[in-house]
Amino acid sequence: MSFRNSVTIIASPRPRVGKTLLARLLVDFHIHEGRRVAAFDLNSGEGTLAQFAPEHAAVAEIGDIQGQMALFDRLVAEDDAAKIVDLGQERFEEFFALARRIGFAEEAQQRGIAPSVLFIATPDSTSVEAYGRLRSRMPQLTLTPVHNELLGAAPHRDKYPIDAKGGTLLRFSALAPGLRKYVETPPFSFAEAHLANARNIPLDTHIELQRWLRKNYLEFRELDLRILLADLQSSIRLTS
Amino acid sequence: MAKPAVILVGADKGGVGKTTVARTLLDYFGAHQTATRAFDTESPRGTLKRFHPTLTEVVDVTSIPDQMKIFDTLGSAEAKVTVIDIRAGLLSSTLQALNDIGFIESAKKGQITFAVFHILGPSIASLEEIAETSRFVGDASYFLVKNHINDTNFFEWDPATYDSYFKKIKRAEEITIPKLNEMACEQVEVAGVPYVSFVANKNAKGDAANYSFVLRGYVRHWLGNVWGEFDRVKLVDLVAPKMESNVRQAG
Repeated sequence: MSFRNSVTIIASPRPRVGKTLLARLLVDFHIHEGRRVAAFDLNSGEGTLAQFAPEHAAVAEIGDIQGQMALFDRLVAEDDAAKIVDLGQERFEEFFALARRIGFAEEAQQRGIAPSVLFIATPDSTSVEAYGRLRSRMPQLTLTPVHNELLGAAPHRDKYPIDAKGGTLLRFSALAPGLRKYVETPPFSFAEAHLANARNIPLDTHIELQRWLRKNYLEFRELDLRILLADLQSSIRLTS
Repeated sequence: MAKPAVILVGADKGGVGKTTVARTLLDYFGAHQTATRAFDTESPRGTLKRFHPTLTEVVDVTSIPDQMKIFDTLGSAEAKVTVIDIRAGLLSSTLQALNDIGFIESAKKGQITFAVFHILGPSIASLEEIAETSRFVGDASYFLVKNHINDTNFFEWDPATYDSYFKKIKRAEEITIPKLNEMACEQVEVAGVPYVSFVANKNAKGDAANYSFVLRGYVRHWLGNVWGEFDRVKLVDLVAPKMESNVRQAG
């Protein structure tokens, strides 16, 4: 169930913390697993998700009601697509304020969708406070802090409390600096069939890239299973 | 046995969203399991009846037979709450008629709970009606409703003028209906269903509908705020105080 109609929001109130790369990976993970993906890009500027994955991601807007309907009505639609929102830091507050106002989490729950937020955990107080607020105001969301290893060690982990029910920390492995240049020109899909040939990636580099991919895909799979398990546990509790 | 309650919803001016307020009231009492009937005086068309067809009857409040239909049945009707949506321009004359038939007298004696929802439009002209209607309301619970549902501008009132009118009515309370997004508002009109049905994604027959979730979210949020205002003025206690205490005693 969590696979078929999942909604994942990748968020942080800070810029340049790896949201879009994580969103790209998640899009490609779902494609790799043979699922339909509908991704929404709430970013401005260059190197956005819509540029990297034009077939699967569309630019979204929440400034007016038409844009809000195009986004949120689609997020709760039961259309068997994995939904991914790459939430730019400029829209962070606006997005969650709107989601709360229109009862997004409640509606999603009613339709058997467990919306999940991947929150890039950084040590700054803006992020820590935003995380805390989100946790208390929208308890229906499965909130998962993401440790982006590229941003260094995680001594601030205790600032991001994890939910008891199925909560976990997502470890986002860093892409080796030498690999970055191969994957930074949009459009780009990690799920592309003959990636090494198409992008002229040397064999050993390609192997390393694949290793990095597997590692992150494994994290996604574990996260999905935890959410599924938490869902099952709560439904068992309801029936007993 | 609860005593009957009559709520007049009116304004002397058209286009201030009276029917909107009547609709939120019917939804509110519905949510509180308070049996309610409604009369729509926009004879012969009936906007309120379009949204709440089972509860609403279209009447001509100026005709004696229809006055009898409303007021002679207060004690016998199953619904203890009667909401009357008074057509634009008829609030003062309706109050006058109620005075003539002795209704206002019964309300004063406490045999009937009587409340007036006076919907205020955005212009100063509608403030002048307050002075006129206040002559009749007596001990009724009087609610001045600032209806912002459709407006894009702020009310053009000078606070001092407003206060001078507001104070003419004893125990008058203010209710504010917040603005609802135009598109959400329009979609509920098109759907022709009560606000609660729209929020619950139901059509007029009670079957599942396919309204936009975002618009439903806006309506739910807005309706919550409106009901918050009704809660604040303790509307349920006003119209059905005995029923509640009975339940408590029985329990």
